[in-house]
Amino acid sequence: MQHRRQPPSASRPGGLHPAASLLALLLVLALPRATAAPAGHEDTGRLPDAGLPRGLLQHAARAALHFFNFRAGSPSALRVLAAVQEGRAWINQKKECQVDLAFTTESYNQEEGEERLGKCSARVLFRNQKPRPAVNVTCSRLIEKKQRQEEDYLLYKQMKQLKTPLDVISMPDSHGHIDPSLRPIWDLAFLGSSYVMWEKTTQFLQYYMMQLSRVKLWKTDDDEIDFDYTVLLHEFSTQEIIPCHIHLVWYPGKTLKVKHHCQELQTPEEASGAEEGSAAALTDLSRTSREKRSVYTES
Amino acid sequence: MRLILFLGALLGHIYCRETFVGDQVLEIIPRNEEQIKNLVELEAEEHLQLDFWKSPNNPGQPVHVRVPFVSLQAVKVFLESQGIAYSIMIEDVQVLLDKENEEMLFNRRRERNGNYNFGAYHSLEEISQEMDHLVAEYPALVSKVKIGYSFQNRPMNVLKFSTGGDKPAIWLDAGIHAREWVTQATALWTANKIASDYGNDPSVTSILDTMDIFLLPVTNPDGYVFSQTTNRMWRKTRSRVPGSYCVGVDPNRNWDADFGGPGASDNPCSDSYHGPSANSEAEVKSIVDFIKTHGNIKAFITLHSYSQLLMFPYGYTCSNSDDFDELNKVAQKAANSLTNLYGTNYKVGPICSVIYQASGGSIDWAYDYGIKYSFAFELRDTGRYGFLLPANQILPTAEETWCGLNTIMEHVRDSISTDTPGSKHH
Repeated sequence: MQHRRQPPSASRPGGLHPAASLLALLLVLALPRATAAPAGHEDTGRLPDAGLPRGLLQHAARAALHFFNFRAGSPSALRVLAAVQEGRAWINQKKECQVDLAFTTESYNQEEGEERLGKCSARVLFRNQKPRPAVNVTCSRLIEKKQRQEEDYLLYKQMKQLKTPLDVISMPDSHGHIDPSLRPIWDLAFLGSSYVMWEKTTQFLQYYMMQLSRVKLWKTDDDEIDFDYTVLLHEFSTQEIIPCHIHLVWYPGKTLKVKHHCQELQTPEEASGAEEGSAAALTDLSRTSREKRSVYTES
Repeated sequence: MRLILFLGALLGHIYCRETFVGDQVLEIIPRNEEQIKNLVELEAEEHLQLDFWKSPNNPGQPVHVRVPFVSLQAVKVFLESQGIAYSIMIEDVQVLLDKENEEMLFNRRRERNGNYNFGAYHSLEEISQEMDHLVAEYPALVSKVKIGYSFQNRPMNVLKFSTGGDKPAIWLDAGIHAREWVTQATALWTANKIASDYGNDPSVTSILDTMDIFLLPVTNPDGYVFSQTTNRMWRKTRSRVPGSYCVGVDPNRNWDADFGGPGASDNPCSDSYHGPSANSEAEVKSIVDFIKTHGNIKAFITLHSYSQLLMFPYGYTCSNSDDFDELNKVAQKAANSLTNLYGTNYKVGPICSVIYQASGGSIDWAYDYGIKYSFAFELRDTGRYGFLLPANQILPTAEETWCGLNTIMEHVRDSISTDTPGSKHH
């Protein structure tokens, strides 16, 4: 498409052609502005970073978001990672991996079109291969609290209108499709799964929610949504699919109550017998000491 | 009518390029030689990224130029300051392209021949039928080559794209991991793209005039069928060892590249189980035998999902390969071309630093065997849907992936032109 003709050599001796100088001025104006800060690099603090795993910043951001989503407790206002803006990582003397980072988020619930970019900053402390990283995260407010409560209540009403007990197998289906009327179920399940995913995350293990199998939905006497389901989590570094049984109780504005039990990877010997789960422990987060060290703020 | 010609030419130019939101097409009529000179100087300013559809020639003859959004103000100010008259022919190029694109997509999605919808997920039988259909429709170019059998005795069918002769070749496979359905779907679309573009698209034509392409759309047919009928999340083959309770081996830990090393499991129940020995899996052995027998494979490309990555060796070690610089440059170029279509972001680099250390992988084996251009794609998305990518993303995924594949193939083609003919592998 582009014809390139050689610009004629300057015909006037001394002094710039007036148009050329104007051009030069315009060039300066037209030059693209400095781009946004590039994605952070993995720096080391006091100790060599021999143990730092790949994609640590993204990993830390996702861990922070699992925690944030759970604590926000709002199935209509879930966030996913958009991009890491900057970050640093250290390994401290206790062999803990600390990550400070800033990242942008987008809305999980919205499909294409509406782009609401949020900003978060977080400090994530991975405890030397132990799960449940300590998270201190602050995110910009995307929508007013009142609107968020309204949208949560709308979601709640949509769920109440579903016929119960609801028996759904495989959501999404094999082709990635979720029936729009059942979408609130997925969002609420994602909220509950966020807790479980945070709970299992280590500096080497990261989780994604793949699919719901076996969904049961009841209502309790006080109108809470009582939700029992099995979720398939995908752990990235091992590529394993981890089925987790989750039982949650939710009412808009009230703290989410979550019970869970995940199936661990079988060894060949164990595989021949049935895998009986131990009794699921009720998880009341306010009691957990690790939880106390984690902080979530929406500014 | 003129507009249609412009758009047609523009569309041909823009496939795999960036979007044009806010860009305008201006018509400028220079009145004298001085104004012509100004426009020529403007044309030479690279930073403005002007795209002249009709270049400045003689006074009184209209000049047409597409001005990117970011340069609009500067250009208009310049024209006005020089007293050069202009008018806006197209207010927003993207709006027009969107309409045109919509129609294009609609036409593409309509049944082309028979009932195969490339924008949907298909059973193994449907895929096999469509492969036969392509062979029947393009007999001079496409043939089917059986390279072996799976554990459960399903044929491993490869599509060969060839314009004849004993040419060097590109290897492309998909679906080595059963649950990564967007890869098999992308492979079918790609097969159709290559077949229908030969003779029409200069790039595909020159690639196939220089090299053959071997495409294996379903590398793990047993696993694929199992993921369709029983367990959507199945990854491995379906091989059984007598006495073992757990089924299957991770076919991408089974290659002879630091087999049994880090990043692979020796637990048969694990999804990354490397298997009893290298090439123990029939599916892997079939490919290895084929590549060795052919003797002149110049590129080895494999498709996975998900994560949006374009990677090259090594996975089994975190040391860089000898060809790091070149492979990195090619991969970067390919990823940029991919991103330019729909804005999908890809990360680029060696497997070990981009994803994780993993031994026994296919492109590590291919590279160490002597196939320099070895690449692995991880297609959409980044985890929102993961393996369960909705079918409405198949076509955009395939289209953008093609931009990346095409870039790599062109580079391989160009490298062959400087090769000594008849060079073979050890």
